[in-house]
Amino acid sequence: MERDMLRKLELLNQLRLTEEQKDDILAFFADREKEMETLEKFDTSATERMVHVMPITTVVREDVVSQPFAREDLQRGAPETDEGYWCVPRVVE
Amino acid sequence: MKLFATKIDTTSERTMVVDDMILTKDTPTTAGSKMLDGYVSLFEAEALTRLKNAGYALCGKANVGEFAIDLLGETSQNGKIVSGGKLINASAEIVSSGEATIAITLDVNGSVRRAAAQSGLVSIKPTYGTVSRYGTIPVACSGETVSVMAKSADTCREVLGAIAGHDDKDGTSLSEELCARVKQNESAPRKVALLKSMTVGVDGEVAEKLNAFIALLTDNGVEVCEIDDEVIATSRIAWNILMSAELCNNVSRYDGVKYGYRAQNFSNIDELYTNSRTEAFGELLKTAIIFGSETLSTENYMKVYDKALRMRRVIVEAFAKIFESFDAVLLPACSTLAYTEETVSANKYLAFEENLYTAPASVSGLPAVVAGGVQLIGKAFSDSALLELAKLLEKEGK
Amino acid sequence: MKYETVIGLEVHVELATKSKIFCSCSAHSYGADPNAHVCPACCGMPGMLPVVNKRVVDYGMKAGLMLNCHINRTTTFDKKSYYYPDLPAAYQTTQWFAPVAVNGLVEIETSKGKKGVRIKQIHMEEDAGKLVHDIREDTTHVDFNRTSVPLIEIVSQPDLSSAEEVEAYLERLKTLLRFAKVAECEMAHGTMRCDVNLSVRPEGSDKLGVRAEMKNMNSIEAIKRAIEYETARHIDAIENGTEVLRQETRRWDDIKGKSYAMRTKETAGDYRYFPDPNVMPVVIDDEWFDSIKASLPELPEVKRARYTDEYGLSDYDAEQLTKSIALCECFEKAYEVCGNAKDVANWIISEAMSILNVRKMTYDMLDVDGKALGELINLVSGGKVSRVNGKKILSAMFDDPHIDPAKYAESNGYVVSNDTGLIEKVVAQVIAGDPKAVSDFKGGKEKALMSLFGRCMKELKGNCDPQVLRTILIDAINAL
Repeated sequence: MERDMLRKLELLNQLRLTEEQKDDILAFFADREKEMETLEKFDTSATERMVHVMPITTVVREDVVSQPFAREDLQRGAPETDEGYWCVPRVVE
Repeated sequence: MKLFATKIDTTSERTMVVDDMILTKDTPTTAGSKMLDGYVSLFEAEALTRLKNAGYALCGKANVGEFAIDLLGETSQNGKIVSGGKLINASAEIVSSGEATIAITLDVNGSVRRAAAQSGLVSIKPTYGTVSRYGTIPVACSGETVSVMAKSADTCREVLGAIAGHDDKDGTSLSEELCARVKQNESAPRKVALLKSMTVGVDGEVAEKLNAFIALLTDNGVEVCEIDDEVIATSRIAWNILMSAELCNNVSRYDGVKYGYRAQNFSNIDELYTNSRTEAFGELLKTAIIFGSETLSTENYMKVYDKALRMRRVIVEAFAKIFESFDAVLLPACSTLAYTEETVSANKYLAFEENLYTAPASVSGLPAVVAGGVQLIGKAFSDSALLELAKLLEKEGK
Repeated sequence: MKYETVIGLEVHVELATKSKIFCSCSAHSYGADPNAHVCPACCGMPGMLPVVNKRVVDYGMKAGLMLNCHINRTTTFDKKSYYYPDLPAAYQTTQWFAPVAVNGLVEIETSKGKKGVRIKQIHMEEDAGKLVHDIREDTTHVDFNRTSVPLIEIVSQPDLSSAEEVEAYLERLKTLLRFAKVAECEMAHGTMRCDVNLSVRPEGSDKLGVRAEMKNMNSIEAIKRAIEYETARHIDAIENGTEVLRQETRRWDDIKGKSYAMRTKETAGDYRYFPDPNVMPVVIDDEWFDSIKASLPELPEVKRARYTDEYGLSDYDAEQLTKSIALCECFEKAYEVCGNAKDVANWIISEAMSILNVRKMTYDMLDVDGKALGELINLVSGGKVSRVNGKKILSAMFDDPHIDPAKYAESNGYVVSNDTGLIEKVVAQVIAGDPKAVSDFKGGKEKALMSLFGRCMKELKGNCDPQVLRTILIDAINAL
């Protein structure tokens, strides 16, 4: 069951774990599970979630175009490019 | 022993080292990861630009643990730095040795504060939103902060003055008016609360540092009271969830397609992604990715992630309650003043436990100053006031 | 047994902003060089932070109000994670928890009459890049120009029940969004894309059938064919057990006229949404909300009624003029200047719209300043410019929208001359050169006069009041 869950998490995050890493991670998960019990002692049903620590609102930007970066520079460190495109193995639709 | 990821010659008297989470033009920024080996940014961090304008010359990039989530930098792809069996943090060592006047770092999971405490340096993690994060490698954006490390509180304060301020390029940047508050001359706090719940588990040396600091405060007419609080100590649990989830999302961009490391062998797109990430990422990072992903899964979102977001408010409110009666909170920055190689190899995830002391300021966005081997947390924008307390140490010559 | 089809649509519309949603790159990706409109942010490099483009929120709100939605005055952005080469950061910033607009209603009209389609929500999000598969056989080429171009996704309730209704709904969306000038809505350009969710159930049942989702349909005709095909496939499965229906994503092959189940990954659908820590809540205050509300256009049907009632136009003219907001605005501005609605309608319908047709432009692409058109009409009706030359000036105004008709007429010699001396001179020359035509006319052949008149007009470059020329010409012939 837990190994199944890990397999899904590997797929979801494009990672491959060794058996030893899986053991470590499962132990890590078990510790975190215990910690959740500490959090559950706090009744937060009436507490609003806090995503941002500062209660400010978005400052929007005006719709103005500026293009200071050149494609050649952006692609300088690219593993593979062709005719101005980044390249990946063929993605079958 | 490799302190610098890149070293830059300079003859300037005022020099800065920035850690490898801070983007620089022309020199690589790697976040301590094989994934970004040789990666050169096309733009530099706003904080760096501001410090250059203030007359600081860049003398190099300090090594950092992979995406800055470890104890002191030991997970860097360049290897850990050990001196006399003790782990060393590159930024702190560079400042201690005088090779740089100041270090600018990204405080993601407290490694900078632990390093400052263990090296006897002063550091300030400013109020969230007062220093632009533009040009920093994103990991846990809701709480990470560009921080300053130096030998003196005055230097920290001067540097904070140069880097704090509104930046249009950072949507979480506070208004110029609010940012200015961290620079204002404030009188030192008069009442400090020692968080007793946070002193459990510290070793003798840290306990001594705490006692020494309390004595210093008392000698200088600052009232110190012990208080009990069960909420602040849960910061670590909430922060580990929030940090890992945000990290998982932020490092998903490193996939071997656009830049950075690409695996040699693959036969389709998923293998390209998986092989590149598996080969380039270290173990601690992988654990954080997997854990973070799980906290956001459909089954766990409400139970784990949403709970952590609500706990963040509970923690912020607990701090607010304390600050009704006190000007600052005193607590350790780490459980010990030296991590040995043995302690670290015995517990791979020590960084997710030692952040017991650093998570409260990370999760709440409150300013934190480390000085004399201990940590002070204050109200939002009380940065300068906290540094005033740190100055007491210097006056006493301790 | 009788069956009914239950259809809900998810329509993605690219917003017509100048720059992208979170960075300042140009949002006009259609037809650009690959990766010409990209920056570190939109090719997934670390360190840039999203800053919200105000116009995206303006347009999101406008779209919401056009579709009778409730506007969430505090609207937030969330991250949606998945790996695909067209998504450079491996997450899309979208709105999951508090979209800009909710609970709307769009009225459509079909052969069965009028019907309301409920809108569940409209959310703002960034588009993905484009993948090109036909450059090299073993490689997919990735273009991030479209990455972070702002989109709205309009999610309807499953209130549609036929291909005809879907077509009417999509056409209505196009009209409303184009009139509000928030989007081009051109399926052929990919600025409007549509996912169709369809299920079939026995008529009158209140239980939904098994749902099939067809993604990225790119023409209304294809959508109609796909709906008919899927409906038949579902009924066949229910009645004859030809297959077991599964909730799945299907791809429509318009050439073969069939849909296919798409291979799905085990991890599909696990998007791990969470609030974006880098984008603060967008709070729409009263001033902002009111300014958007005030900027909403009159609906086309309201304009149509007003054009016939107020301006006395025919139903046909009103119908033609309300085919696009650009035509309406040109008409209204020109009318303000010249005060003759019928005249303006004629100029727009018989002249401007035919120029658009000839140039293969849509009615939304009319870029002629209505005020200038009004001035041109005044020049022609006041006899200062001939109608023939007026048309030439209008054509020039299509090439350069800044042309001042009076100045242009002046500098190009299109001004009608009142110099009767010049006209008499030209008439004398023309009739002297063609005695046969003169005698033909005198002999009763009206046509001969037309030929002489045409030649005189040509000599005068059209700059002559036809009535004046005619009088002088006849007088001159009679005086012979």
